[in-house]
Amino acid sequence: MPNQICCVCGKEGVKSIARRWFCAEHFESATHERPGSWRAILALVVVLIVFVGVVYGLDALIKPQFNPFTLMLVGVVLALVPAAIWLVFFYQQDRLEPEPAGYVLGVFALGALLAAAVGTPLLNNVFRVSHWLYADTLTTIVGSILVVGFTQEFLKYAAVRFSIYNSGEFDEPTDGIIYATAAGLGYATVLNVQFVIANGGVDLGAGVIAMAVVALAQASFAGITGYFLGRAKFGSNPIWWMPLGVTLAAVANGLFNWLRGLITHPAISLTGSAASPWLGLILAAVVAAGLMGLLVWLIRRNIKSALATQ
Amino acid sequence: MSTTIKTSRIVMPGDRFAGLSVLLLTLLALAAGWLLKTSVENRSQAFKSGTISAQAPAGWLSLQPVGNEVLHVTDRTSKGFGTTYLIQVEAVPADAQAGQVVSLVTLERGSALTGYRVLKQQEVLVQGRKAIEIDYVYVESASNLNHVVLPSVVRGLDYIFVNAGQAIIVSYRADQSVYDADLGRFQRFLVSVKN
Repeated sequence: MPNQICCVCGKEGVKSIARRWFCAEHFESATHERPGSWRAILALVVVLIVFVGVVYGLDALIKPQFNPFTLMLVGVVLALVPAAIWLVFFYQQDRLEPEPAGYVLGVFALGALLAAAVGTPLLNNVFRVSHWLYADTLTTIVGSILVVGFTQEFLKYAAVRFSIYNSGEFDEPTDGIIYATAAGLGYATVLNVQFVIANGGVDLGAGVIAMAVVALAQASFAGITGYFLGRAKFGSNPIWWMPLGVTLAAVANGLFNWLRGLITHPAISLTGSAASPWLGLILAAVVAAGLMGLLVWLIRRNIKSALATQ
Repeated sequence: MSTTIKTSRIVMPGDRFAGLSVLLLTLLALAAGWLLKTSVENRSQAFKSGTISAQAPAGWLSLQPVGNEVLHVTDRTSKGFGTTYLIQVEAVPADAQAGQVVSLVTLERGSALTGYRVLKQQEVLVQGRKAIEIDYVYVESASNLNHVVLPSVVRGLDYIFVNAGQAIIVSYRADQSVYDADLGRFQRFLVSVKN
């Protein structure tokens, strides 16, 4: 019978969880927290730290010069590596029924495409945010939420809602977070490539740290929307449910943008000293890491809830 | 080899309304953001020098006037060449014709600016006052030879008012890529100039 097929590998299913069948091997992996999964997560974080350290060291030692082609190449590589690491990190969280990698990569590409084709032109050419957004602190916070936050979060929402959301593969609330973080990482990749190109490859050491933080942050904001999307598909929710999710993501995005703005638009005092860019980066990293922790907790809670129904 | 069969879910009316409400909320947020942008860009600070007054953009960098300049402000957030507003005052003979002043200004610009070319010149009315409008381009290159950067093509617009032995020249200069986008703001500055 087709409904007694393992939803992960397609072999014969022996046990079911929340109306999904699993073979013995995948039932074991879905229902038991393996110590190896924590080691894998730790290894990913170590790989990211090593990558950042290597780029930081190479930049300090070599002080590389780039032509337009090599600059673009370096920008793409530096933007893709942190995105790939975070993508694997979030993908591993969905141990109940991992999503098809091709679908996840497709949503990643769609997030990147929407960023390049709509998000960046809208913010840079229509709203021209760099000309007015950093006029004062209140303008930065309000403008970052209303313009930057809503634009970016709506596009990430659209990347999931109007593609994979109606597919049969989107079959549990956790999938909302997995696909939305993929869209967020695609969006972040485009932002990071543009960051490297705009700086002409200068100060890549500090830049690669900021890029790793931006990738995590964009994934986490999208993950908030994804959580609401997942609940929206599998529950009966009021009409304000989805707008609330996108608003929360936009607010988090706006606050992050303000904190990150302390790096790119430091306040210069009359004495010539500037606010520490590291402080802004650390605060932004704390926001991103806090949201990531919240998402991991939500994913695990969803899985626990599904297991409780077996 | 067996395969997993999954079916697509039917889109419920509630889903459609959720999508519409998110779209509507985003449009409202962007409209509010546009109002915020406009209010920030319209912020100005009063400038006065002798009989000349104007409302210069707030937050722009005010540079020390050089030569016949009385106001020189530039937008520090511009990329490449910083969008600049200038007011210059030239003493001219009391019976000088506008055409003579325009020739003088064109000669001065031609010798001071690299690749200076006049695109268009015409007589216009600004708030009921007669003026000559000169639309031009030139090339701006970094003065520091060690600064490796391509020169910028700058587009400029001069309004020349001749009145009682003096010519007031109100100028707008911007990188050609942002010239059109910044022009509206300059028009508001232009009408604020009084003498």
